Amino acid sequence: MSGALSGFTIVDLTQGLCGPFASMRLGDAGAEILKIEPLDGDFSRAMGPPFIGDESAVFLSLNRNKQSIALDIHKPEGQEIVRRLVTKADVLLEDLGPGEAEKLGLGYETLRTLNPKLVSCAISAFGEDGPLRNLPGAELVMQAMADYTNSLGRIGESPVRLGTDVASLNTGVFASQAVTAGLFHRVRKGEGQRVSVSMLGTLLHMRGIMWTAMTDPDDWYGFHLDHYIKPPDHGYKTKDGHVYFGLRRGNSEDWDRLLISLGMVESLSDPRFAGFGRDATSIGRYAAEVKPIWEQGFKEMTNEEVVRLIHEFNGDAVPFMDYPALFSHPQVQALNVVQEIDHPTAGKFKTIGPVWRFSDTLAKIQSPPPTLGQHTDEILNRLGLSTVEVQRLKTEKVIGGS
Amino acid sequence: MAGILDGIRVFDLTIAAVGPWASKLLGELGADVIKVEAPEGELSHVIPPPIKGTAVLYISANFNKRHIVLDLKNEGDRAIALKLIEKSDIFVQNMRPGAVERLGLGYDVVSQVNPRIIFVAASAYGRVGPMAKEAGIDPLLQAFSGWCSITGPASGDGEMFRHLAHLDITTSTMIVEAVLQALLARERTGKGQKLEIEMLAGALSLQTSRLAEYFATNEQPKPMGSAVTTTVPHQAFRCEDHQYIAVGVVSEDQWPRFCRALKLDDLCSNPRFATNPQRVKNRAELIPLIETRFHAKPAAWWAIRLTKEQVPNSRIMDFAVLRYHPQVVQNQQIVELQTPHWGTLNVDGMPWKFEKTLAGPIRPGGLKGEHTDEVLRELGLL
Repeated sequence: MSGALSGFTIVDLTQGLCGPFASMRLGDAGAEILKIEPLDGDFSRAMGPPFIGDESAVFLSLNRNKQSIALDIHKPEGQEIVRRLVTKADVLLEDLGPGEAEKLGLGYETLRTLNPKLVSCAISAFGEDGPLRNLPGAELVMQAMADYTNSLGRIGESPVRLGTDVASLNTGVFASQAVTAGLFHRVRKGEGQRVSVSMLGTLLHMRGIMWTAMTDPDDWYGFHLDHYIKPPDHGYKTKDGHVYFGLRRGNSEDWDRLLISLGMVESLSDPRFAGFGRDATSIGRYAAEVKPIWEQGFKEMTNEEVVRLIHEFNGDAVPFMDYPALFSHPQVQALNVVQEIDHPTAGKFKTIGPVWRFSDTLAKIQSPPPTLGQHTDEILNRLGLSTVEVQRLKTEKVIGGS
Repeated sequence: MAGILDGIRVFDLTIAAVGPWASKLLGELGADVIKVEAPEGELSHVIPPPIKGTAVLYISANFNKRHIVLDLKNEGDRAIALKLIEKSDIFVQNMRPGAVERLGLGYDVVSQVNPRIIFVAASAYGRVGPMAKEAGIDPLLQAFSGWCSITGPASGDGEMFRHLAHLDITTSTMIVEAVLQALLARERTGKGQKLEIEMLAGALSLQTSRLAEYFATNEQPKPMGSAVTTTVPHQAFRCEDHQYIAVGVVSEDQWPRFCRALKLDDLCSNPRFATNPQRVKNRAELIPLIETRFHAKPAAWWAIRLTKEQVPNSRIMDFAVLRYHPQVVQNQQIVELQTPHWGTLNVDGMPWKFEKTLAGPIRPGGLKGEHTDEVLRELGLL
């Protein structure tokens, strides 16, 4: 069984979080990834502490499946090497910024004369047009511009960001889609093309339901609208943590039993609790309002006890998990999504493996992340450069070895 | 100009957000997406708010589709469904594990009718394990996947993202990723296949770069307000006018430019802050110095200075400011869509721009069952 992208080669000029996440995923699907790094390395190699050995944990998590060539793309001979690699490859993935690849002789118009079937995917921060097109991006900056911080924290207080690197990693998934779509089109119709994605575009796309909801809703209500004004949500407090839950199914007898066992006798006749809790829990209309009543009921119960109780009454419930609890949970273990990689210098480390399971195609971790320039010699030898030439290029700092 | 998925048909049996948004993206890539609903309609119809009586989620998650109603518990309709499946390339569903099998449309049945079909099984927590039977909606996954534990003010408990759709749509995008891979593989093998994905794995994958810290140290990363563990300075700063500006110095070349923008030359030449790892280690000393500097002038001043120096920065934007910001308009990231049923709407732009092969245009979907006759007639199934 081979991977969906087995046999395809990607020349990867990207750095940081976004592009590398994309190429890593394409590598899990079997593509060969030639990672071109500056002589002092992808800047995510400096994103730490924490480090594992000499490598940043962040870099290690995003760069498996790749061969590394250290190369200065600002030198004409470096540019020529990239052009030669792209000529023999299927895909170019770059995040140099709108217009920058052109300045280096690596623009799509140049490259497609060398390789008419090339699929070229460009990643930018804010989009390729507009007054901000040349401004580089950063995770928090994209979240702030895309209205994300307004769905966290409190109005008037210091902004809160999503801890998860959504601008970077969600965009990486769209880039992975774009590359695969481009290859699909090429295999069917014989032509390559250029495609672009942006971090701002990603974050705004994913919030689309809100833009539509805000256009002309019949009533200003519902979680697509009222989360600007709602206070921070920590779920439902219990004796030893927090849970999130929803109820909406049941029969009257069970419902009475549930409320009585929680000491919530008054709620039996409270219209907000009608419909077996549909409006009084989860995303229901009165959920925020009646939360303190539930919390009073849960005060002497642990997370586990609350979850078990809600399940008994056909509701959905989970505890709020932190990472230590999550990774010792049998469900996460059953998914087999945490995998261990053995790195030549950093040693063994854990990470999240491919998320898709195919019945006929293989998705798997192919190789550990490379050290800087680990494959420089190998890649250039394959390109037909002699050992003498390679040495000269190293001396002149066009390329770097490992 | 035909779209990338021209000639590809999707049998879309999805509900709510995860499944429908995936097939919406396939529709935007040019596939012919047939949304199949039971007569009573799917879940999203009851989620508020509505626009002119139709739930916004139903409108938003179902662009670029045609809508038909089939009662799959009825013999005649089920036979039609199987004929439609024969003419389809992709079968998407996101019901609880076991549900589609009980409807008689599990992979074993569907792949017999059409061996080239790509069958998507998307669940909340997985098809195996103690939680396999549980349904999941976005906030449940936020709580369970650890995603809340790294978000919030520095002193507080982890909090939820109050927009309850991000993990849903993340899963949708990973479904599309996998479907495109399966289509590519099918060109080589001629065969379809089954692909499985769950929201929980998607949520973990999205946290890869933050989980890296946990796996390296065995310590839970703490919520840090607008800041983050591994890059400094990368947070929001309060300015003289009490407005905040978000700044990120994420690559080494940006640090001297940041110092120039803030006229903090001695900071720049201080070896304790010369590299990112040193700034991370010495953040307690560095951040107050930067905060003081930002307090000296209003946010608008700093935005000019930082942008001139090409340092990533942004004001904290909301929809009113964002909607007609030239960057958003010129890149078509939020666009206007004319619809027959709901008037003119502001909607999400497409997440990719293909220069040669057209993606889109974005087209509104319809009402439940609106295209039943049209589709069945077109496919000779009426």
